[in-house]
Amino acid sequence: MIPILGLAVGVVLGLLLDPSVPVWLQPYLPIAVVAALDAVFGGIRARFDGIFDAKVFVVSFVSNVVVAALIVFLGDQLGVGAQLSTAVVVVLGIRIFGNAAAIRRHLFRA
Amino acid sequence: MSGTQQASRTRSLGASLLDQVLAETVDPAYAQAAAARADRPAPTRGARRRGQALVAATMVLAGLLAALTYDQASAGSEGREQIRDALIADIDRESGVTDDLVAGLAQLQTDVGTARAQALSASTEGQQALAELARQEAGAATEPVSGPGLDVVLGNALPSADDDPVAGAAPADSDVALVLDRDLQLLVNVLWASGAEAISIDGQRLGPTTTIRQAGGAILVDLRPVTSPYDVQAIGDPDALNNGFVSRPDTLYLGQLAVTYDWVFTFNRVGSISMAGAGSTELRAARPLGPAAPPAGTTPGEGTTTDDGD
Repeated sequence: MIPILGLAVGVVLGLLLDPSVPVWLQPYLPIAVVAALDAVFGGIRARFDGIFDAKVFVVSFVSNVVVAALIVFLGDQLGVGAQLSTAVVVVLGIRIFGNAAAIRRHLFRA
Repeated sequence: MSGTQQASRTRSLGASLLDQVLAETVDPAYAQAAAARADRPAPTRGARRRGQALVAATMVLAGLLAALTYDQASAGSEGREQIRDALIADIDRESGVTDDLVAGLAQLQTDVGTARAQALSASTEGQQALAELARQEAGAATEPVSGPGLDVVLGNALPSADDDPVAGAAPADSDVALVLDRDLQLLVNVLWASGAEAISIDGQRLGPTTTIRQAGGAILVDLRPVTSPYDVQAIGDPDALNNGFVSRPDTLYLGQLAVTYDWVFTFNRVGSISMAGAGSTELRAARPLGPAAPPAGTTPGEGTTTDDGD
């Protein structure tokens, strides 16, 4: 319950405060969100599997976001930013789908 | 299960990579942490609290990130929309200003003409000058005219019904298939050669120094854009105009182009056409009337005062 509340508070804070993001960081926000989604779904899946661990969740979240943004940044520098961000989205998307399917099986037993 | 394992062993590297991505959707670190935890005693209440707080803080971060990204994306599209609207408003406003200025100019020209006629009609010399002026003005196409003539419409191919409206009616050679400035120039020259006394394109009168040029995708007549279909009207003896127009080889050439590129190309006689005067010509030369002393700016040895300013 507390994590969901935290998510809601974060969304409300972001919408209300409307903090300005430095321009150089803006291209990496969408990919960071996808990476964050992957970490969150992984955490939920682990929770249902009964193996959730706070430390692992926090570390995986931060490293996921940073690494995804870093990969795209590196791609941008090498001139393959669009392709690399596609690769990141495909891999993370597959994982999100897999985790969502596992969560669904836990929730609905189907 | 051994059957599938056997199969996976013989699969290519790419396929096994995909298998791994598909199978390992949850971070293996969770399983390791769980295994390590099983060996240790249960965590204290404080440690669990701390873990919960950390998770909550991370989720706040996730929410913040999502909200920020949403804000950014929506601001981007809103900003583009706003800029577009502002630009369109700018164009509309400036076009209005131009129209006002043109109307003002026409009014002032009429005033000047009236004042000049009043001033000159007093003397015989002035009347002669006035008659000369009228002749010159007719030549310079600055006076409004009306009369019978020919109406020629030349336009780009109309979009056909089976064009995809989303992908746009853009065949590969669409740039070639458009009416170009030189086609319009050719048409105008054919009309002059056929005996036209006055010509207008989309209601814009052509003077002796009028240009028909292409700038990007638009055709400009004296720097004002005209759009397809181009309505070219010519005043003159209708019979002579019509016969001359039909019999000239350039008209045949234009007709062939029109057939090739599906252009709109029609012409018909019109009983009465009226045209406004062409934009005013710059005053470049002036000569003092009569034996009055030449003004200070006169070039010595010449009877004319030239003014190349503005």
